[in-house]
Amino acid sequence: MSEYRGCELPEDLFYDLDYVWLRPEDDGTLTIGITDPAQTMSGRLQKARIKKIGTHLDAGRHVATLESGKWAGGVPVPFAGEVIARNEALLEDPHLINVAPYSDAWIARIKPDDPQHALDNVKIGPEAIEALEAWIKRYDVQCMRCSE
Amino acid sequence: MADIDQIMQHDHERLDQLLGQSAHAVSTGAWQEAAHLLEVFRHGIVDGHMMVEESTLFPAFEHKEGGDDHPLTALLRKGHRDLRIFFEEMAEAIQDQDAETFDDLLSTVQTILKQHDAKEETELYPYLAAALPDRGKAAGKRILADETETPS
Repeated sequence: MSEYRGCELPEDLFYDLDYVWLRPEDDGTLTIGITDPAQTMSGRLQKARIKKIGTHLDAGRHVATLESGKWAGGVPVPFAGEVIARNEALLEDPHLINVAPYSDAWIARIKPDDPQHALDNVKIGPEAIEALEAWIKRYDVQCMRCSE
Repeated sequence: MADIDQIMQHDHERLDQLLGQSAHAVSTGAWQEAAHLLEVFRHGIVDGHMMVEESTLFPAFEHKEGGDDHPLTALLRKGHRDLRIFFEEMAEAIQDQDAETFDDLLSTVQTILKQHDAKEETELYPYLAAALPDRGKAAGKRILADETETPS
């Protein structure tokens, strides 16, 4: 696990180099969530809306929208696909994203239309970590760990 | 002519009203009118307001502040990128006559705009009004011209 300015950056995930992380699953779907620096920048999340199961999304469209007292924004999907699962716990407790952005607070699982090219626009490994560190610096983020 | 901070703040208010009118049309089921009003709003904000900011105001700020990677303009540019996607999704919700989805998107967009506009009005425009030789009047002219051209 890499860490920069207190922000955790797992090296085994794919990143869109902005808000989003992706994890390929054994069944060919991809789990999506937002990064530690992104949840820090958003502040304590108070509302989460996630697209319903069965919704088809074009690349770049939002699978979820999140709101805190000081911020609102979308969670864009880097590839076209269908929502096959969503984290219902986040609808009740969006703050979970601030506590466990890479584990319990996954947002949705999506079945890509074109599995061969679903990860064409995301990065992994040292290249991703370096770009995310630049992102953290650009937006002047210092991550704080939420415990509850 | 007013300084850039006054012109841009006035344009925020004008655009908020246009978005509100589209939302009202959705609430009454006037889908065709809602689509038209949303497009007027989208044109005004994307092709007018954001265009002037991205082509003139942000570079002027970055030039004065010594770089194109300033946290303020980086955040504002990101806000513009996110908003463009939301506007497309709102237009699709109107096309689908899906008031529930439109209202969800409207709530998020209005929150984004409120915070985004406040940041611009407190941190960007006053700085440029003071720093630019013409107090931003040239950029302001483009906004005013766009307002005049806005279809009714």
